[in-house]
Amino acid sequence: MTLRRRIVPYLLLGPGTIWLLLFFVVPLFYMAELSLRSGTFGNYEFTWHWANYSEALDLYDTQLVRSFLYAGVATLIALLIAYPLAYTIAFKAGRWRNALLFAVVAPFFTTYLIRTIAWETILSDDSPVTKVLHAIGLAPSGHVLATGGAVIAGLTYNFLPFMILPIYASLERIDVRLIEAARDLYSSAAQAFWRVTLPLSAPGVIAGTLLTFIPAAGDYVNAQFLGGAGNQMIGNVIQALYLSQSNYPSAAALSFVLMALIMVAVVIYIRFAGSEALMGEESR
Amino acid sequence: MSRQSSRGTALTIASLIAALALALGLSACGGGGGIGGGGDKEAETVKLEGKPSGSLTISNWPLYIDSGTVPAFEKASGVSVKYIEDVNDNNSFFGKMQPLLSQGQSGGRSVFVVTDWMAAKMRELGYLQNLDKSAIPNVEANLAKSLRHPSFDPNRDFSVPWQTGLGGLIVRKDLAPNIHSVCDLFDPQYKGKVDFLNEVIETVPLVMACEGVEPDSASEADWTKAIDKIGKAVEEGQIRRFTGNDYARDLTSGDAVAVIGWSGDAVQLQADNPNIEFRMPTEGCSLWSDNMVIPVGAPNPTAGEAWMNYVYDPEVQANIAEYVNYVTPVEGVKEVLAEREPALAKNQLIFPSEAFTKNCFTQPKLSAEELQKVTQAYDAVING
Repeated sequence: MTLRRRIVPYLLLGPGTIWLLLFFVVPLFYMAELSLRSGTFGNYEFTWHWANYSEALDLYDTQLVRSFLYAGVATLIALLIAYPLAYTIAFKAGRWRNALLFAVVAPFFTTYLIRTIAWETILSDDSPVTKVLHAIGLAPSGHVLATGGAVIAGLTYNFLPFMILPIYASLERIDVRLIEAARDLYSSAAQAFWRVTLPLSAPGVIAGTLLTFIPAAGDYVNAQFLGGAGNQMIGNVIQALYLSQSNYPSAAALSFVLMALIMVAVVIYIRFAGSEALMGEESR
Repeated sequence: MSRQSSRGTALTIASLIAALALALGLSACGGGGGIGGGGDKEAETVKLEGKPSGSLTISNWPLYIDSGTVPAFEKASGVSVKYIEDVNDNNSFFGKMQPLLSQGQSGGRSVFVVTDWMAAKMRELGYLQNLDKSAIPNVEANLAKSLRHPSFDPNRDFSVPWQTGLGGLIVRKDLAPNIHSVCDLFDPQYKGKVDFLNEVIETVPLVMACEGVEPDSASEADWTKAIDKIGKAVEEGQIRRFTGNDYARDLTSGDAVAVIGWSGDAVQLQADNPNIEFRMPTEGCSLWSDNMVIPVGAPNPTAGEAWMNYVYDPEVQANIAEYVNYVTPVEGVKEVLAEREPALAKNQLIFPSEAFTKNCFTQPKLSAEELQKVTQAYDAVING
């Protein structure tokens, strides 16, 4: 009986573990091995060639910085759009709640690629959007497409639902009596929001920002379609290294550099912003 | 829960999320499984077995054949054909096939179609087989004279042209009437309104030609100089973006007024918008072919060669030429089309006269190492 009890959890973990080992850990190991090879295409040999890493940092620092900048700005804009929206859906939408949630998810019924290509038309030089942006001075060069701004807009749009849904989930779970209590204790609506609602929804905000920032930093589709010469991201560089130059070691090394930098950024973020927020109710 | 351990939990959750996202990101990058060249450099010749039969898998570029030819071939030969359009650009097709080819496998494909320089690269890596010319008499008889001795395959031992074409300028004549040379694309009045191709071997030789350098005998310094010129134009915002065939969208919307592009696209674009036209650069155009090749490990090469032979029948080729609007490599097609569709037979972009292409040059042949070098330099400009 006790033996069986001890085995069951492992059996339940089995499928997931095997999956992760086979499709994450094993490929990751191969990638790591590949990133330390040297030579020319056709005879890449494993030589502990750490220079691939320093070269990657050296040659592509511009694109790395640019990727983090674009992803960061896109995450911030997505947060500013998503929070009020999620708040409205959670507290004010009433019987429209499900319809609005559906509207948030609806774009997923079209593939990512098509949605991005559709933005080419929206931001085209002769489009009304571009004309308006030009008129109010936001697009001095007369075009929006093929600029960094278009890439950020595309990233924001494509990852917005990943921001909205976690924030909505955490807002929706909030016990409204806590907010009522705050009001009963003479806090203003704004104070109740800052001191009760916002802290309680912080786990959703943290999850949303991570789910937006991490894939956005490695994205290459938006830069490929909406960006132009001079605003490609690190994902495009990795793609070019793999596909057009067949320089697998450098591509693998650069992937690891990106991975490490994202990891560092996330850890710092969690330590400063996250520890308070993620403590949860039980520790209070 | 203590503060310390909850922070630990937070970190665990965060790192799990991060790991998940990274896994997704990495999987999108694809991967090179097996790395390495394919066995012998000395290529084998395909082994034919009697009459063609069985099944045949062909990989080609999208929209590169009419709808009637494959069924007609099936009927005529008794071979059942799986025709897949999975070659979108040379590099990504190479990336997809390389792990297989290096193991001596072709993923079930008997024939696929790649551009000259890619065929040369694959050949150098030992990924292609020689053809048995006894089974392709139509090719021997009808292949255009000008295509019989390309520098990358002087005797056409391993490649048979599928279609050929011209690389030059495609312009919006209403918006950029004065562009006649590739060097005109650098004119500041078209700032942010020109697209270049993202294939180094198509773009850089054209830029060198307008600078007065002969691409085939260009030195490394000439390549570097031309790439630097393009790099400078990127910094100044002159070049809008680097594209493949998707320059079509920019030309149609007017976002780009002139691009470096391919003749067949121009014919099709012009049919929809008369303001779009191919312009022969004053310094000449680039000539390229997409070639049918038989990779190592190809099943049923007998049927593969039967297919090559079949499409070199001028009557059959006329149907393909009529649909794709590139330059046909088969002689005798012009005569067939002159009766059927005289306008096509007169089109200089489909049946270019010698006078029309007199300044044009074939794509320069580079060694794998040189190609790697210029690609790296060019990609640095594209992704700068």
